Amino acid sequence: MKEEKNKKGEARLMKGNEALAEAAIRADIDAYFGYPITPQSEILEYLEREIPKRHGLVIQAESEVASINMIYGAAGAGARVMTSSSSPGISLMQEGLSYIASAQLPCLVANVVRGGPGLGTIQPSQGDYFQAVKGGGHGDYHLIVLAPASVQEMADFVFDGFRLAEKYRNPAMILTDGALGQMMEKVILPEEGSLKKVETPWATTGKPASRDHNIITSLFIQPEKMEEVNHELQEKYKKIQSEVRFEEIQIKDAEIVLVAFGLSSRICQKTVDLAREKGLKVGLLRPITLYPFPFKRLNELAEQVNFMMSVEMNAGQMVQDVKLAVEGKVPVYFKGRMGGMIPTPEDVLEEIESVLDNEKVLQD
Amino acid sequence: MKKTLQDYKSIIEPVWCPGCGDYGILVSIQRALLNLDIDPENIVSVSGIGCSGRLSHFLNTYSLHGTHGRAVPTALGVKAAHPELTVFAVGGDGDGLGIGGGHIAHASRKNVDMNYLLIDNQIYGLTKGQTSPTSPLGVKTKTSPHGVFEDTLDAIPIFLSYDVSFVARANGVDPKSLTQILMEAISHKGMSIVYILSPCRTFPLLDAKGLKAILQPLPEDHPTDNKMVALERAYSDQPIYTGIFYQVQKPTLEDRLQNVITKVCDNTNGGDKYSLDKVLKSFA
Ligand SMILES: Cc1ncc(C[n+]2csc(CCOP(=O)(O)OP(=O)(O)O)c2C)c(N)n1
Ligand code: SF4
Ligand SMILES: [Mg+2]
Repeated sequence: MKEEKNKKGEARLMKGNEALAEAAIRADIDAYFGYPITPQSEILEYLEREIPKRHGLVIQAESEVASINMIYGAAGAGARVMTSSSSPGISLMQEGLSYIASAQLPCLVANVVRGGPGLGTIQPSQGDYFQAVKGGGHGDYHLIVLAPASVQEMADFVFDGFRLAEKYRNPAMILTDGALGQMMEKVILPEEGSLKKVETPWATTGKPASRDHNIITSLFIQPEKMEEVNHELQEKYKKIQSEVRFEEIQIKDAEIVLVAFGLSSRICQKTVDLAREKGLKVGLLRPITLYPFPFKRLNELAEQVNFMMSVEMNAGQMVQDVKLAVEGKVPVYFKGRMGGMIPTPEDVLEEIESVLDNEKVLQD
Repeated sequence: MKKTLQDYKSIIEPVWCPGCGDYGILVSIQRALLNLDIDPENIVSVSGIGCSGRLSHFLNTYSLHGTHGRAVPTALGVKAAHPELTVFAVGGDGDGLGIGGGHIAHASRKNVDMNYLLIDNQIYGLTKGQTSPTSPLGVKTKTSPHGVFEDTLDAIPIFLSYDVSFVARANGVDPKSLTQILMEAISHKGMSIVYILSPCRTFPLLDAKGLKAILQPLPEDHPTDNKMVALERAYSDQPIYTGIFYQVQKPTLEDRLQNVITKVCDNTNGGDKYSLDKVLKSFA
């Protein structure tokens, strides 16, 4: 999936946050609304600096509640819009996101996650997995969630996020973290203008005589109608399952599978190498979309492996989905650090070895 | 035993940048509390998020670090549960006038007996230099690299329109007059706002010299009970006045809640059986 994009353009050394911001301009966003918060203020700052020289507009809102409602308004008017924040700010956006999902509007939200709960720390974390993939706000809805693992993907997923959001008229989220936001890597930016604008006949663009007026709402007072809307949403989420994406590393002969997304997957990639050096057949499955989640593939893999281990920078969130996926066929273990701490490849290997030791004890 | 300034100093050392205006404000608060001889253990300071919000950690009082922009409703919660305590809310211009701007009106309608210290450095300090609601038109910041294009929010007339029962502006780098204003604010029964101008050294839009040049104390005979005069002087930008613009006595949140309880209980079991005090003690 990467090759087709990476063929054009020259490589640039960029921070993850700036690559994401530059990609947003290249994705022809009409507007960005945001509010400062570490570790993602560079997105707002970059766009404030660059957008006026090119096209689109940027507005610093007075809060994240304001940002997400500006998004609601502009998306409802048919504009390609995006916001970004970090954990506490994303929490404030949940009400708006629920409305936007219900009103079936496309938009893109980036969450550059920091350690929590509460004000927490500005260090990287994956503690917002549940919030991102289970809905986050009230009611039965889902965001489409993409989890980049490199600065390259911070840029690419802006395009992918909009593509999916617009295809399904559903808010999409890029779930990343403070480390990916701040780290510098080589990136080949997506080509400007290569993301075509879609038709938005549903938008509140002013009423031509030939057309009924559009009402964008998430209020359906009659329960029968509300249920109908819910069915429609659920049908959509079913269709969205076909968009599942994941990457497999050394899976073919793997007896142990690590499951990790984003930054953790990069750590696990090293663990795989370390383990292989020791003769342990460890592989890695990296979900690229967290919603939809690769349930099916994990279930298949459960037939092949001895156990799985979910590695996350939180107290164990995605591990619950991995367990759901494997339906009890194999044990699923967990290794994580919390509060802005990052597990090392060696930590993960140690955990694998301790599981193996325990299993041996049980068998002896 | 006679207290000293030391009694109001936290064991946590301030972490502000060298030269930050917030140091002087901290000392002025400590001095005001000392002068009024308020026991540190009977004070709760609630802060929002920002460099200024750190202030509550550096005071030797009970301290509650709230969410960004919500120091005022959080302080209301503390005061409602413990009306006998002296309660401060502390936060910056972004915290109090940006994200949390909507709360002041409603705390004022209830006349919560709290002291809100709104420390304005015209910038988002903690997040490293973005535009705030009080950043002057045209200045360049990290999020206004081409110059701020929005009008500056003028806070004092807003507080007056909200009918806040004590409204003052103070120069953060003039500790003597700041201490005096703070003492008046703390002694005031009802909601007080002391709007303190404080230079940020790292992202400087204000400095001590500049403040001295633009600020001027309200005339000695300024009538603090006259809202129209207060409004007129609040709107003045040459000079920008400091001092107490307006002060009025009205029932506080505590009084109002007690009134409701008395009214309701009068109709059933003869009022004085119930009191707010009893209700609160039942939670203790
Ligand atoms: C919901 C939320 N959004 C954003 C932030 C990031 N943030 C922390 S402090 C701050 C602004 C600080 O500016 P100000 O209130 O003026 O205080 P100062 O640091 O200047 O004293 C922001 C935006 C946050 N902590 N929580
Ligand atoms: S950034 Fe500015 S306001 Fe914050 S501590 Fe430093 S000097 Fe003070
Ligand atoms: Mg400030």
